[in-house]
Amino acid sequence: MPWKLLFRNVLGHPMRSVLTIGSVAVAVFLVCILHAVTAGLRSTVSAASADRLLVQSAVSLFVDLPLSYQQKMAGVPGIEAICKWQWFGGRYEQDKGGFFQQFGIDTDTFRTSYPEISLIDGSYEEFVKNRTACLIGTELAEKYDWRVGQTVPITGTIYQRTDGKAWEFLVAGIYESSSPSIDQQTLWFHFDYLHESLEAGGASGPEGVGVYMLRMAKGTDPISVQRTVDAMFENGPQRVNTTTEAEFNRQFVSMLGDVPSLLQMVGGAVLFAIFFAVLNTMIMAGRERTRDLGIMKAIGFTDRTTALLLVGESVLVCSLGAAVGILGGLLLEKPFQAAMSSFIPAFAFDKNTLLLGAAIALGTGLISGLVPGWRAARLTTVQALREVG
Amino acid sequence: MSTSIDIRSVTKTYHRGGEALRVLDELDLQMAGGTFYALMGPSGSGKTTLLNLIGGLDHADSGEVLVGDEDLTQLDGSSLAQWRAENVGFIFQGFNLLPVLSARENVELPLLLAPLSKRQRREQAERALELVGLQDRMDHKPRELSGGQEQRVAIARAIASDPQIILADEPTGDLDRTTADSVLELLQRLNRELDKTILMVTHDPQAASYAGKVIHLDKGKLGRIDDNTAAAARS
Repeated sequence: MPWKLLFRNVLGHPMRSVLTIGSVAVAVFLVCILHAVTAGLRSTVSAASADRLLVQSAVSLFVDLPLSYQQKMAGVPGIEAICKWQWFGGRYEQDKGGFFQQFGIDTDTFRTSYPEISLIDGSYEEFVKNRTACLIGTELAEKYDWRVGQTVPITGTIYQRTDGKAWEFLVAGIYESSSPSIDQQTLWFHFDYLHESLEAGGASGPEGVGVYMLRMAKGTDPISVQRTVDAMFENGPQRVNTTTEAEFNRQFVSMLGDVPSLLQMVGGAVLFAIFFAVLNTMIMAGRERTRDLGIMKAIGFTDRTTALLLVGESVLVCSLGAAVGILGGLLLEKPFQAAMSSFIPAFAFDKNTLLLGAAIALGTGLISGLVPGWRAARLTTVQALREVG
Repeated sequence: MSTSIDIRSVTKTYHRGGEALRVLDELDLQMAGGTFYALMGPSGSGKTTLLNLIGGLDHADSGEVLVGDEDLTQLDGSSLAQWRAENVGFIFQGFNLLPVLSARENVELPLLLAPLSKRQRREQAERALELVGLQDRMDHKPRELSGGQEQRVAIARAIASDPQIILADEPTGDLDRTTADSVLELLQRLNRELDKTILMVTHDPQAASYAGKVIHLDKGKLGRIDDNTAAAARS
């Protein structure tokens, strides 16, 4: 195999090679990103805890449930703890474009229900003790340089203070999560603080609970609990839908539509486009080299070698594109992670993502090279030399 | 030992647009080894077709093409490719160098098919380029060479693997007279000094005058063979 000729052919048309490598790199990069997103979404769903159920309104996640439901559900056999979750929807005024989640939760049951969360700074006891305290994720702390002991102002968009000021939360602890189902950019505060402020007229907004988390005792049949809870509120005032955490996460993701399928379709379209672009380039390259192929065959190179030369060139170009695309992906992984961690905590370029990118590029190179390669193999020396004129 | 060529009752027909065109018609021709032949004739007389058959680039419809002891009509595609690599050097009218390779790399190309080390390939290519007087142009790309220099590189490539037969199709067709003469002198030297069998297709009587024998083809049949040895010896 004349390797030098293979490399020289690639370098012989630097602009064309650079553009082809660039387009393959962009495609591989996009496919890797899309794969990382879909894998992250799936991972978020699959990492959900099996002993937690979530109760939401049967109408919509955006319809709150009555506070009284907690006491009623507490009597259901198998339920060990209940934790309220309420979406706050506030915004940090210093970073109006930035997004992170804030939830009001029950401090007494939260910690034991979420063992995957651990504090790396501060103390949970301080969090419980202080009504205005909050816990923040490591990435949030890093993003805004927030520290334990600091008071952070959050302006409510759903829950606004009647004095017009921002809510102030004292950072009592910084957490990290060992599970991709919980991101590192959430702020948790006392549900009671919000509730009491509403009751006292210090704030306005809807009263109620967004979601109840039910932690089940070991060995409890989740289906039985689900049925019991759903039946309990069958006649209102607000019908509920009880699901496993995995199903809840899946439904949450599907609120945006069938995101994984959509992303896969986009990825597929990108691949098709790039495949035809590379194929077109390689067919052009093969036609341009008709004379060279004729010379090589006259000299004594076999049909197989001349075909492999074109296949090799295509694979080389696509491999370089894959390398650039994957390298770009690895370099941009952290910024992407930071940008997406609130939505897809498990976003990451894992081994499978990188292998997929490389395999796609190699496959594209191979198939794109086979078409001109097949033509080169079938071309007789006399035909090839005659085309020279 | 120089290689003789024996063409026995060879027929070759091309089919174009539903029309059969018999290019070689039961041709019989013997060529002695170590001789410089010029192959002449009007367009369509079968010169290039005969050259292609002798070089193993094409198959005869019938008859035998014996080059040395090998009957080329019995070889399949890959065997012919190997035979070409070991026995024939080609020189084309349009030089046909690979534009992305330097002069030395072009000459090294056929040597990739021989069991040689990288160093041996390089040395052999350099020797061939020295023989054609291009020792100071080894690293130049074809576009950096004149037409005459390009054809010399092509000749160096043709002789690099030391084949017994050199087949040249209008090698001076694209060159001016002075350059053409120097190329023809080079071919003459290769025949005389290295005992190569050379078969050169040409329309140019002056180019043919450098050959020892001139074969005239007419409508796919042998016209006559002129012995030009004495005149060629004086040139």
